[in-house]
Amino acid sequence: MAARMNSIGKSNGIRLSRRTFTKLSALGTAAALSGISSVSVSAELEGLIAPASASPEEAGVRLIKSNCTHCAVGCGFHGRCENGVCTGIEPWLENPINTGSMCSKGTSISEILNSELRLKHPMKKTGGQWVQITWAAALDEIANKMKEIQARDGPDSIMYIGSAKTSNESCYLFRKFAAFNGTNNVDHQARICHSTTVAGLANTWSYGAMTNPWNDMRHSGLIMFFGENAAESHPVAMLHILEAKRRGAKFIVCDPRFTKSAAAADQWVRFRSGTDIALLWAIANVIVNNNWHNTDFIEKRTYGFDQWWDVVKNYTPEVVEDITWVPAATIRQLAYDWAHPPQGEGTAACICWAMGATQHTVGTNNIRAMACLELLCGHVGKPGGGTNAFRGHDNVQGSTDMCVLSHWLPAYYGLTEKAWRHWVTVWNMHEPITYEELKAKFAEHPAGSGNSLMHVSGITVSRWYEGVLNREYPIAQPNPIKMVFVWGHSLNSITEMKRMKEAMEKVELLVGVDPHATIAASLADRPDGIIILPASTQFEQEGSCNNSSRETQWRNKIVEPLYESRPDGWIIRELANRLGFGAHFTYEDASRASSDYQRMVSPEQVLDEISRGSNIIMMRRSANRLKAQQLQCATDCSVFSPEDLQAKSGPLTGEYWGLPWPCWNDQHPGTPILYRNDIPIWEGGNEFRPRFRATGSTAGNPISDDGVSQLGASYIGPGYDQKNSDGTDGDGWIYEIDADEAFKNLLNQNICPSGAGRARFRAWDLPDPVPVHREPLESPRPDLIDKYPTYDDVTNLYRLPVLYKTIQQQRKNLVNEGYPFILTTGRQVEHMGGGAETRSCHYLVELQPECYAEIHPTVAIELGINHWDWVWVETLRGRCKVRAYVTERVNEGVMRGGKRVEATIFIPYHWAGWFEGQSYANRWPAGTEELAYGDSVNIICVDGYDRSTVMQETKACLCKVYKA
Amino acid sequence: MATYYKFLNVIEKCINCGACFAICKDQNKVPHGTARVQIVTINEGKPGEKNIPVSCMHCTNPPCVAACPVKAIEQRTVKDWQGKDAVVVTVDKHKCIGCGYCGWACPFGAPQYPHGLEGDLKEWEGIMDKCTMCVVPFVPRAGDLQAKARCGLFCSTKARLGGDITEIMPQYTEAKSHNTMAYQERPGVL
Repeated sequence: MAARMNSIGKSNGIRLSRRTFTKLSALGTAAALSGISSVSVSAELEGLIAPASASPEEAGVRLIKSNCTHCAVGCGFHGRCENGVCTGIEPWLENPINTGSMCSKGTSISEILNSELRLKHPMKKTGGQWVQITWAAALDEIANKMKEIQARDGPDSIMYIGSAKTSNESCYLFRKFAAFNGTNNVDHQARICHSTTVAGLANTWSYGAMTNPWNDMRHSGLIMFFGENAAESHPVAMLHILEAKRRGAKFIVCDPRFTKSAAAADQWVRFRSGTDIALLWAIANVIVNNNWHNTDFIEKRTYGFDQWWDVVKNYTPEVVEDITWVPAATIRQLAYDWAHPPQGEGTAACICWAMGATQHTVGTNNIRAMACLELLCGHVGKPGGGTNAFRGHDNVQGSTDMCVLSHWLPAYYGLTEKAWRHWVTVWNMHEPITYEELKAKFAEHPAGSGNSLMHVSGITVSRWYEGVLNREYPIAQPNPIKMVFVWGHSLNSITEMKRMKEAMEKVELLVGVDPHATIAASLADRPDGIIILPASTQFEQEGSCNNSSRETQWRNKIVEPLYESRPDGWIIRELANRLGFGAHFTYEDASRASSDYQRMVSPEQVLDEISRGSNIIMMRRSANRLKAQQLQCATDCSVFSPEDLQAKSGPLTGEYWGLPWPCWNDQHPGTPILYRNDIPIWEGGNEFRPRFRATGSTAGNPISDDGVSQLGASYIGPGYDQKNSDGTDGDGWIYEIDADEAFKNLLNQNICPSGAGRARFRAWDLPDPVPVHREPLESPRPDLIDKYPTYDDVTNLYRLPVLYKTIQQQRKNLVNEGYPFILTTGRQVEHMGGGAETRSCHYLVELQPECYAEIHPTVAIELGINHWDWVWVETLRGRCKVRAYVTERVNEGVMRGGKRVEATIFIPYHWAGWFEGQSYANRWPAGTEELAYGDSVNIICVDGYDRSTVMQETKACLCKVYKA
Repeated sequence: MATYYKFLNVIEKCINCGACFAICKDQNKVPHGTARVQIVTINEGKPGEKNIPVSCMHCTNPPCVAACPVKAIEQRTVKDWQGKDAVVVTVDKHKCIGCGYCGWACPFGAPQYPHGLEGDLKEWEGIMDKCTMCVVPFVPRAGDLQAKARCGLFCSTKARLGGDITEIMPQYTEAKSHNTMAYQERPGVL
């Protein structure tokens, strides 16, 4: 690897003196004392980030607040801007979430921003060559192709793959853009990272998000990880976890691998990939059998305990030991710890997970099981407790909230007529549009049936390629997909890459929009039909971003867009202009310079529109409130406490950092801990929502399918149904527009407009009302398949058939037919997602230069493999050529019938540029080639999908390994 | 009064995220193949795994200073980012002859002798480079920058503490004062 220096980064370091710091403080204090008004905040903030400099040596140095664009912790940092160039970063020590800390990815931000390997101009592949084209030519060609396909094949023949790495405003506009193009075939990374979390949690207790803030884990008595490796995927979360541990909390990691997180834990429990539910139910089984559960909580705030126990009573520690590898005695000890969180500051226990739990055919059930464990001991709704789903991308909570998803409208509104009418009302306030006009844009399927696809969930990103191929899995829409937007999405994070590659070669036009070329440009082996557009990074545009714990932070622009890159909003509007509905995507802010690419798509105004309609999650926050928080945080680090994120002094006293939703109106402080009903709503209290209503429910009396009232205990005493703005029972709160005053009246009576209901042990409307253990599609235990079979095949899940039982039966004996080992995948701390950014950063590539497979020493010796040898890892889908990383992190398996089976092989998933050992680096446009390439493990992961959300299975399938 | 700048590592908290390595590279523009701070892992992959960030420790009595035949290494007082006088150990790359004696003298293996450099960097081939508390970037420039141990300020878990020893020692003591930081068996329950 040749040494590479960043020419931009050669200028001198910061020369900010003590005097300047004092000056900054004085400025901020003055702003605080003068009273924060919405106008003065912006002006003062501008002064703050651009301090006038007295001494020549400080001229031109600005420290600009922003947030990291890697994981969803939401770390703040200062971009160091000198003469319009970002020359590095400085710590933002006052940010309460990270108090300055960042990981290797975060500290590489200026290198990533300034990268010479970014996509610099719009490029088009034609005649086998990449040629530079103008923005106008690119946008014209894309828009014309869209119109052609929409007229010929219908609106559903274009797939819109969006991004969790753009701002809330861009995500919202993207979803709106798909709607105005008449299709629900819009989806993004949330589908393949935490869709099962949303489905699992929302079906248990109404909201699908992380319940407690990152910082709140400091107050836990017990932190349990299930399929989460924070030391690699969310390093700064470990700041809070290790602080809790220092205070006496116990930190337990349950994982098939001895991860870096396990190394920092008090206890590590190895269990077999794909058996989470069995282990969780065994823990629950011991708790109930010993009467350690919280009967008062269960009685008052939950539903379905008895039916739940009918299932769980069968999962005794002895039964589960055989399934999971975990000794019964260990299960008993885990159960004791769970019910009696050891010492620490708090008495509540929290459970944390990420892809290890979500990316399974039983992902939704995994999450449901963890939520039930929280309910069992009443840990949820308390400081230090809760279910903490560690989300992946910096704004994946925001992009989920904005619902760049094929089955929802922004803020979790479904696709019903009522939901569409709600958002059309909001959109109509900006620019006239009627429900009928919008509906006319959508196709019907079957044609002439009157069944508008407006109300039918679209194709998911996890299987979008099937919508193109339309072969083994025929699709339920008029025509196959002919064109696809890949807008800020690394396609190597999707499984079945062979089929995806084929689909990418089959579509008529493939449009990539990203700061990097990514494999959207290079995976398809085709001479033409690809256009890639350079999007600006989030450091070159403004916007808001939701971290995993629902806190919204405002990113300022550090530098003007580099090269010919453009902000996402600008690109969306330019396309909308060409498609004839540009006025709906125009939000002109006259105060911005005419050279500002965000002048016509003001993020502040878009956020206002979002706030107007986002009742379900009450994301009611203005840019001014967010900027005011940032200003306070800049001037006095004691204002927002890292302990509970609350402002303890100054004009924002009582407010929580980032105004975590639900934030009921312009005076509400935010709700950091969901379902906490021992404090008033005005101070961040919250209730379980009675949103589940079986047939027979009426306003004021929501009931389950077996007739049990879903009203639970509340802060004011008895539970109550959701409210209309006038205080009567009904779902009016969801559809109110600008009803701040009405909600204030309810809040003043300590009534939560979303109602006070029960959380569900038994979710009657799910495929498994109570989760049960189901063996993975490719199980290393053929003897367990009959007892714990997977689901029956499904004919139409998000417009596509999904096979379960057929696959499992066909491959029942696979473990004895040459595929003895368990393949699982995961993260490396140095890389992010598909890795286009991080594999183009030479610091990170120096730390982690190649893809590898972790193999236990015993297995390696038996196979004659040495450390760092080339090996093939092969499954039924194909094979990957990677380095062998011989380590005890993974297990050695057992000998069965004279053969070694059940050893785990681990491969990180960030890699691309090789396809089954063959490099396709030559297909990147010149000058955008990444620094490090490797084989993509998602070529070989199993063809299984979650039963509820079509999340792809990446954590459990069978493989074999041999020397290359 | 000048204060000593030091590093203290709470190794129970280091998770090997690489932030110190990356921010050092970013701030000091250290080229590929050379590292002023590196994380060393022991017992990798099994209980007892520990990570230790290793760099120049800015010794109070630096053996490298004594070993240097051309007096290229100095213990100097510079301004830190908070305006205080800070004592750090730096190397004058224009004096260094690249003999490697400091590497022999250093107990930590901190001195690096970059090789394979290209272009403008070629003149620094084999010339000793090490942590300077962000005072001198890889390519030396006229005048010092402020001492500011960014690896400590950015450390993801506050495992690496860097800066004024009188400020970081209490933080270190507090972090280490609870025996719960170390892996241990809890009292048995069943």
